[in-house]
Amino acid sequence: MLDAFSRAVVSADASTAPIGDLSALKAFVASGNRRLDAVNAIASNASCMVSDAIAGMICENQGLIQAGGNCYPNRRMAACLRDGEIVLRYVSYALLAGDASVLDDRCLNGLKETYAALGVPATSTVRAVQIMKAQAAAHIQDDPSEARAGARLRKMGSPVVNDRCASLVAEASSYFDRVISALG
Amino acid sequence: MKSVVTTVIAAADAAGRFPSTSDLESVQGSLQRAAARMEAAEKLSGNLDNVAKEAYDACIAKYPYLNNAGEANSSETFKTKCMRDVKHYLRLISYSLVVGGTGPLDEWGIAGQREVYRALNLPTGPYVAALSFARNRGCAPRDMSAQALTEYNALVDYVINSLS
Repeated sequence: MLDAFSRAVVSADASTAPIGDLSALKAFVASGNRRLDAVNAIASNASCMVSDAIAGMICENQGLIQAGGNCYPNRRMAACLRDGEIVLRYVSYALLAGDASVLDDRCLNGLKETYAALGVPATSTVRAVQIMKAQAAAHIQDDPSEARAGARLRKMGSPVVNDRCASLVAEASSYFDRVISALG
Repeated sequence: MKSVVTTVIAAADAAGRFPSTSDLESVQGSLQRAAARMEAAEKLSGNLDNVAKEAYDACIAKYPYLNNAGEANSSETFKTKCMRDVKHYLRLISYSLVVGGTGPLDEWGIAGQREVYRALNLPTGPYVAALSFARNRGCAPRDMSAQALTEYNALVDYVINSLS
């Protein structure tokens, strides 16, 4: 498993050279608190995000919870919720490390083949991950839609930076995209 | 590669939980010291050749017998290899400063070190002398800030301990 720092070290070691340009890592350190807040935003809302993503996936495809569907009976629905949480957990690890290696090695490696063998439909899985991607972006920006959330509106705190952590939103989205392309 | 972040993630993954507040706090603790570590790494890598040369010269001055025929520093090939080894250790120290843990030193420097030196019949004393010189030569604030020098010294000490 690598993080942003060890990734730089491994690539420098390939040419036995000292690390030339530290500016990217210095930027990582300087915006470290934002990153921790982003990870916290995902971790603190994880169970809500997962259940909403799975519920949204089922809403759009009711066949999943009818007899013969992949979320019927409860045993398989529970497995589905568990897998949603696992994916989100590894994305949160990748976001904390600033590198996708933990996600690739421990979650995505062989996931497509496993799901194919178990008969889990890739399109539904991808849809749930897409929903989680949108939720993660909203939570990191801490900018939930008041019109849609209504009484359930929940904010982490008042925003500290004007760009609402745009770079971290993009980074988190790239990890979800990685999951999606690994499944497709 | 062992660093504060990967250690925290490995522990959280083993327990199957999301990064907790205390996980994030320990990462934050590492990030707070990162500025000093980055400074030390930058200064060291920018001056790696000179630091290595001085350290190498100091150890040969302390152990001149190494230049005798048949000893570890007796030919041009041996000399460049000795110099290269010292430079390797210093480069791995700069990597460890960047990572914020001893991972690069452990994996690429210390693992198998004892066996290699025994097989090649190399004395470890001169390495200790070279690295001790590199450690004591550092001076704050001439070379780097005091906090950066502390981080650098800690890692040089770590290598010296592994050699003795």
